[in-house]
Amino acid sequence: MVNVANQSYPENRSENASDHSLVPPCQDACPLHMDIREYVGLVSQGRIMEALQVIRTGNPFPSICAYVCTHPCEDACRRSQVDKPIAIRSLKRFAVEFGGDRMVRAEAETKHAEKVAIVGSGPAGLACAYYLKKLGYAVTVLEAHSELGGMLRVGIPQYRLPREVLNIEVQRLIRMGVEIRTDTRVVSLDLLFELGYKAIFITIGAHQSLRMGIEGEESPGVIDGATFLREVNLGLKPSLGKRVAVVGGGNVAIDAARTATRLGIKKVSILYRRSRAEMPADPKEVEQALEEGIDIIYLVTPTIIKRENKRLNVTCVRMELGEPDESGRQRPVPIKDSVFIEKFDTLIAAIGQAPQTPSDFGVRIGRGSTIQVDPSTLTTNRVGVFAGGDAVTGPATVTEALAAGRLAALRIDDYLQHRYPLPVKETKEKLGGDLLPKTIEMIKKIERVEPPNLAFEARAKDFETVELVYGWEQAINEARRCLRCGVGVEILFQDKCATCLTCLRVCPYHVPYLDVSGTIRIPADQCQACGICVAECPAKAIVLRKPFDRRQVTDELGHTIKSAAESKNKPLIIGFCCQYGLYGTGTLARLWRGAKAGVSIVPVLCVAKVEATHLLSAFKTGAEGVFVAGCGEQCARENTTYWVKQRVAKVRKVLGSIGLEPERLQVFALSSTAEDPAEELDKFVEQIGSLRLASVIKGEVKS
Amino acid sequence: MIVAEQKPLEEIRRMIAPYQRVLILGCGTCMTVCDAGGELEVSFLHNALQLAQARSGDVAHTFYEHTLKRQCDPEFLGLLDEKTADVDVILSLGCGIGVQAVAERLPDMPVLPGVNTSFMGMTKESGVWDERCAACGDCRLEDTAGICPITRCTKGILNGPCAGPKKGKCEANKDMDCAWILIYQRLERLQQLDKMRRYYPPRNYRPIPRPRRITSKAGTMAGEGNG
Repeated sequence: MVNVANQSYPENRSENASDHSLVPPCQDACPLHMDIREYVGLVSQGRIMEALQVIRTGNPFPSICAYVCTHPCEDACRRSQVDKPIAIRSLKRFAVEFGGDRMVRAEAETKHAEKVAIVGSGPAGLACAYYLKKLGYAVTVLEAHSELGGMLRVGIPQYRLPREVLNIEVQRLIRMGVEIRTDTRVVSLDLLFELGYKAIFITIGAHQSLRMGIEGEESPGVIDGATFLREVNLGLKPSLGKRVAVVGGGNVAIDAARTATRLGIKKVSILYRRSRAEMPADPKEVEQALEEGIDIIYLVTPTIIKRENKRLNVTCVRMELGEPDESGRQRPVPIKDSVFIEKFDTLIAAIGQAPQTPSDFGVRIGRGSTIQVDPSTLTTNRVGVFAGGDAVTGPATVTEALAAGRLAALRIDDYLQHRYPLPVKETKEKLGGDLLPKTIEMIKKIERVEPPNLAFEARAKDFETVELVYGWEQAINEARRCLRCGVGVEILFQDKCATCLTCLRVCPYHVPYLDVSGTIRIPADQCQACGICVAECPAKAIVLRKPFDRRQVTDELGHTIKSAAESKNKPLIIGFCCQYGLYGTGTLARLWRGAKAGVSIVPVLCVAKVEATHLLSAFKTGAEGVFVAGCGEQCARENTTYWVKQRVAKVRKVLGSIGLEPERLQVFALSSTAEDPAEELDKFVEQIGSLRLASVIKGEVKS
Repeated sequence: MIVAEQKPLEEIRRMIAPYQRVLILGCGTCMTVCDAGGELEVSFLHNALQLAQARSGDVAHTFYEHTLKRQCDPEFLGLLDEKTADVDVILSLGCGIGVQAVAERLPDMPVLPGVNTSFMGMTKESGVWDERCAACGDCRLEDTAGICPITRCTKGILNGPCAGPKKGKCEANKDMDCAWILIYQRLERLQQLDKMRRYYPPRNYRPIPRPRRITSKAGTMAGEGNG
């Protein structure tokens, strides 16, 4: 496997020294190393366009990943220790569709004289073309088939990846100035070098189906999975008869079976030699296949195929699971005397694929017919020839191919600019490990929101996309479940810490603890980043790990005051409003719009981060009233409203002692979506108006 | 730990009224732990004073803030020197000891107390502190099962309980446990009830002249005076 986890596109390389955040497991698991926590956080605030920007920084074709990514991030998500992982891929799809990805224009100019040829136009090839073009090279993509996309086009069925999505990405590449040559099969690399290409990236995929190695495999009516999918995807309609068997348990087998169903075959059976637990196919896909009426027969393998009367008599044998093999899965062993014969019209063999590299390329071939490369530079044994994608790894995921394409672009750039290829060092520490039971217990359980699926009656008829996209509110509710791993707090100033134990006492999640030497510790892997201890620490020794989070409330308050000063309107009322969840679902926007003249809103990322001094500062600017509006019971974190009320009580005491009515400071905590914060705000504005009038009269009486 | 509480804002404003440039000086040890004068409180007071000033339109003070690790050690106070050059007064949020230490260090600088130093005590729960020691200089906790009657009995009697406690509570304060009942219960647990049966003569206050001094230096000569 090519290790690309540490590679990132140059845009991501800048590091801020005061940023002490850690790499969350989702980002670590992503082959593209995308900043998932960041974009999920932006979605939870309803900032979809910005979320899309973050996504596009780390991914050349987010719209494709939004459909077909196998989301290793979700498998790594620590929320699964609490309830269920965050639906990251669905959130990405939401951001891509609602953020206007199809409007994004990628632009690039050619800065270098060197030309690069890319052999193959699968995800690795297209990603490499994208990044090389952005780096300023002239790029030509050569594709043997009539259309671009490789497996994205000829392997993945339309109901999983609409061709429109792929076409938009291809068009974007063409507009960037990438030269495309379809129906061009490359037979010799020497010719390409003669044509003036200085570097070549081989990414020809793994299209050659493996043979089952059984008698009768050559009979008419037996077809391999890759060929079958290719024919259907390129618009052919192979005739399959009435009863179809698919052999295999991977994604290709499932794709082939579901495709056959969509071609009108009523009886489709999958024969798999192990049980469901060992199936390498995406469990969600398996479930959808079952919903569509596909019959999966486990622990069965065909041994002989005989063609009689235009039908296939397939001799099968039942299996049982024996000792684990080198892949860790239990090896299937045939059961004696369990042979039986089934009749099919067509048998589709989908037991795996391998690359088929022309020997004229002159590159060294290794295990499983894959091209041998140096994993950190992707160089082959030939100078100037790089390789990546399925051709190197064997069948893998789209995201891994995109990562390989990006790595190749960076390394080809190094090669052409005569630089030593220095690996990008990850300076941030990774965060991992399990949440402690006492912490898990305190984390609010919020059900994972699944995007709707196309009703299965509608599915089997055509190639419509099965998974639908979230609505606005669903997406925001799902995104706010994120535990924000790695952006919690730290005791930055150990010398200031008086070990007063306030953090230990106020933490709703029992995270801070005293170690054996009596030093207080706040373990990063347990912190839920609610920010309560930051605001309560009497020594101001605790800070949030990200500089942006540290400054957020102060900065936003500053902006509000500044813009109020510019508009020459003295702010009458300043409101600190939570930007997450409930408010993010449009309530905040409505408050903005509904805010009367003189009401300024300071958006904050949870009211727990609003400190008592922030409230005083708001009054200091001359505000007649200040309010804090949080999500109340809807908040994804614990105790936030309680602490806001504590701070408000403290500030109210100060107000009282300097002759201001304590009612000028209010807390609004919504307990349900039905409540309208705008109404409460209206009442408050009226109240402040009368208080102000009263104090003016009082002032006049005094003087 | 020494426990204090911040003075009311009105009082602080009255104290600083004659001065223009005010340094609010926090203390990073006891005053931080008891939420009376740590860095957070310094900044809160700073903001509150600014707000009061903005609302009243009175004398324009300029405020500075700084927090020392501890105000009761001269070496820490040495770090203050450059901070005090442009300052007219120091409002110390240290305990009474801190205020005096700062005054001793800076002979020409007025120093104001920002907190009322209250007692020596312990944390009951977050934000609640209880007095536990009167610093009498003659500890008898051995006889009273680790519960101090001088501090925790309202009357401070050495041979309790008095006739007043009801249902284990003090006659002076129904919410407060009678220290002598607690002592009895604990002695019973420890099987030392014989200690209850002894008579303790009145304590002799005479040999405790104030201010006291303790020295751990081995070579101190006898008869060396105080001060």
